[in-house]
Amino acid sequence: MDVMSAAPVIEQLSRETGISTAAALFDKIPPHPVDPVLSPLFRRGGLPRGELVTVTGELSLSCGLATIAAATREQKWCAGIGLGEPSVSSIADLGVDLDHFVNLATPGEDWLRVASILIESFDIILVDPGFAPSASERARLLAKIRERRMSLISLRPLSGSTEQIEITDTRWSGAEHGHGRLQSCLVRARSQTGTHRFLLPGPSGTPASVPAGTLEVVADGGASIAPTTDLGTDPATDTDDDPRWSTITQLRQVISHVG
Amino acid sequence: MSDESGRTLVLTVPDWPAVAAAVEHDIAPGRPVAVLHAGKVIAADAPARAAGITAGNNKRAVGYRCPEAHIAVWDEEADNRHFSAGVGALDNLVARFTLLSPGTLAIPLDSLRHGYADEADAVETLVSALVDDTGWEFFPGIADTVFAAVLAAGQARRVEPGQTVDFLSAQPITTLEYAGAEATALIEVFLQLGLRTLGDLARLATKDVNARFGAFGRHLHDLASGRAGAPLADHVRGEQLDVELDLDAPTTRSDTLGFLARQLGADLLAKVRRQALVCTQITIELDAAGGQSSSRTWRIEDMQENAIADRLRWQAEGWLAGVGRGSPPGQNPRTAQPDPQELDIVDEPAPDAEDFSDDGIIALRLIAAELTTPIGATRSLFDENTGQITHTLERLQGLFGPDAVLVPGIQGGWDPAETNLWTPWQQAAVPERSPAAPWPGALHAPRPTTVEHSAVDVLAADGSPVEARPSGLGAAPATIRFPTGQTETITDYSGSWPIESGWWDPNRAVYRTRLQVVTDAGRALLLSKEHGQWYLTGRYR
Repeated sequence: MDVMSAAPVIEQLSRETGISTAAALFDKIPPHPVDPVLSPLFRRGGLPRGELVTVTGELSLSCGLATIAAATREQKWCAGIGLGEPSVSSIADLGVDLDHFVNLATPGEDWLRVASILIESFDIILVDPGFAPSASERARLLAKIRERRMSLISLRPLSGSTEQIEITDTRWSGAEHGHGRLQSCLVRARSQTGTHRFLLPGPSGTPASVPAGTLEVVADGGASIAPTTDLGTDPATDTDDDPRWSTITQLRQVISHVG
Repeated sequence: MSDESGRTLVLTVPDWPAVAAAVEHDIAPGRPVAVLHAGKVIAADAPARAAGITAGNNKRAVGYRCPEAHIAVWDEEADNRHFSAGVGALDNLVARFTLLSPGTLAIPLDSLRHGYADEADAVETLVSALVDDTGWEFFPGIADTVFAAVLAAGQARRVEPGQTVDFLSAQPITTLEYAGAEATALIEVFLQLGLRTLGDLARLATKDVNARFGAFGRHLHDLASGRAGAPLADHVRGEQLDVELDLDAPTTRSDTLGFLARQLGADLLAKVRRQALVCTQITIELDAAGGQSSSRTWRIEDMQENAIADRLRWQAEGWLAGVGRGSPPGQNPRTAQPDPQELDIVDEPAPDAEDFSDDGIIALRLIAAELTTPIGATRSLFDENTGQITHTLERLQGLFGPDAVLVPGIQGGWDPAETNLWTPWQQAAVPERSPAAPWPGALHAPRPTTVEHSAVDVLAADGSPVEARPSGLGAAPATIRFPTGQTETITDYSGSWPIESGWWDPNRAVYRTRLQVVTDAGRALLLSKEHGQWYLTGRYR
């Protein structure tokens, strides 16, 4: 894309999202920090603020809790809605500061009401929504999130999200058919930044990067079962459904070319 | 801190656990008493020691040496309770003092300087007042640091100002056990290095000690070289302040209860204010006409009668509503997993639903559970937006009931269902099992992320249920059937490991076999078998 073709994109951006300058695009509030193992999953290396993120698939709760861990250790308050009864020891294992985590045992049909109250003062909300909100409810929720600059992580697909992390494959190791115990789980996750492999939970309970030796073993096993391997390697493919994001991505490429 | 202001008087009761046990069990003075903890004597009074009982003896050795000795099991709670009750006489004599441990208290000497002519006079007055009041024997000790004063009290001596370093350097290194249980390993190392006295340790350079033994080693080095540590927190008078109201007729109406609670709360707060104290936690006790009672402790940041009335109303509503639920029929209450919402209700026998709802609540009692000085209750400037968080969560508690907002905690146990300690926001957590106790066979990380409790069937390849024996599983598990009827194929499974505990007490006996399985859906589950039935106890989500 050359510099000249950026003009209509910029016009479209300022009309649709109110972003009028490049500075407004790039000097947004910094994202919440996340564990170094998880940060490649996010476009800006951390949990974006003022936006809705979805984490779906098997082990999504572990992934969500691991994502909030670094922020709670920086005194950011986090609440969980509709998570059932989480086990405290695993929350602590994933690195969450227990002094800054609250779990709401409210009925599933009240999640939107509870979330809208919590948005007022909490920094991060982790929610397993009991029902899908209507379009107008969703718009109000997103506006509130944007205004308070807080992060909402949904464990189910929810439209209006800016980043989607989907865990596509899990591979537990250590059980050894009756001769061991579960040690770690190798997951493959797809996000806007491509496909990533890491251990969640790793041997110590926290996320860990894949040791060099296991990579090839996994590559063999992964090829045999999963046709999804080649999906999501191109960052543009997943964002196509959201025109606004694809234009921003294009614009970023333009700006980085110019710079 | 200058030497002068660090100077401390320590009063200690020798063999305090034995004295406390004698008080607790009402044992005649002069009868030998030995206190056992973990099978070993930890304290013995003077007659028992005269009979040859020393710390470290086991129960049988006590029986040989002194058959008439009373053997009591160590009760930390009784130790604390009797001591803080006994030293009440000090409240009227000194402005500030600190309870260091049961049996030992410290008084900063600069707080006595204006009231007494010299140190000897002060000690004599205080000790005679305490002895008259309690009848216990107190050993005084005075030195320039708290640690040195504790050692001096053990020998009932006064260390002259400025002589503390000399006094300390002659003491054996084992006296560092004062710093807590974690010091034991380090003392061992010091002894192996040939450091036999505190003086040997103090002669080492601070930075070398820090480099080799870390922060804790440096702390011990500070103690040994007579450097003063952080000032002690003052003891707050532990008066029992409570108000009580008996209703004329039992009621279940929450508006009536709220109205009465507001008046009662105002009475209690007035009582607290008259003592020049501030109440930060309050225990609400409700008695039903049928004899059941509910007791909960609440922490309230802005303590006022309306807040108390709200908490009482929530507690009463939750309690009355919870009675109808009961425990599901056919489930053995002993094996039932503790429900987080029931963990914080203390002393609540399962009430009978019918006669209870007719009767309602007959008496209210409010107890000031935590008292502090007004300055101690002031919120720190550096707490980030906790005020707003509190406001939000209280609003949610008002909408959905207090049990809807839960904060996490960890207690002792083997499985996540047992270690979970979810406590309603701003209530005091009441762990049932000590996390410090050993839990052999406890699950290691990675642990399941959610706790479940549902009966499932685990089937072998031929369709028969899988047996669990101490030696292992009867057959390889092949399928798991959930209560919904849905089945999944098991692709991998861990070794099974049993827990056996409490076999000496049929009410506490636990025999359980646990197994982790991975299904073809990529899902990992924690299963356990108890009383011949497999349960799904955790899910890795």
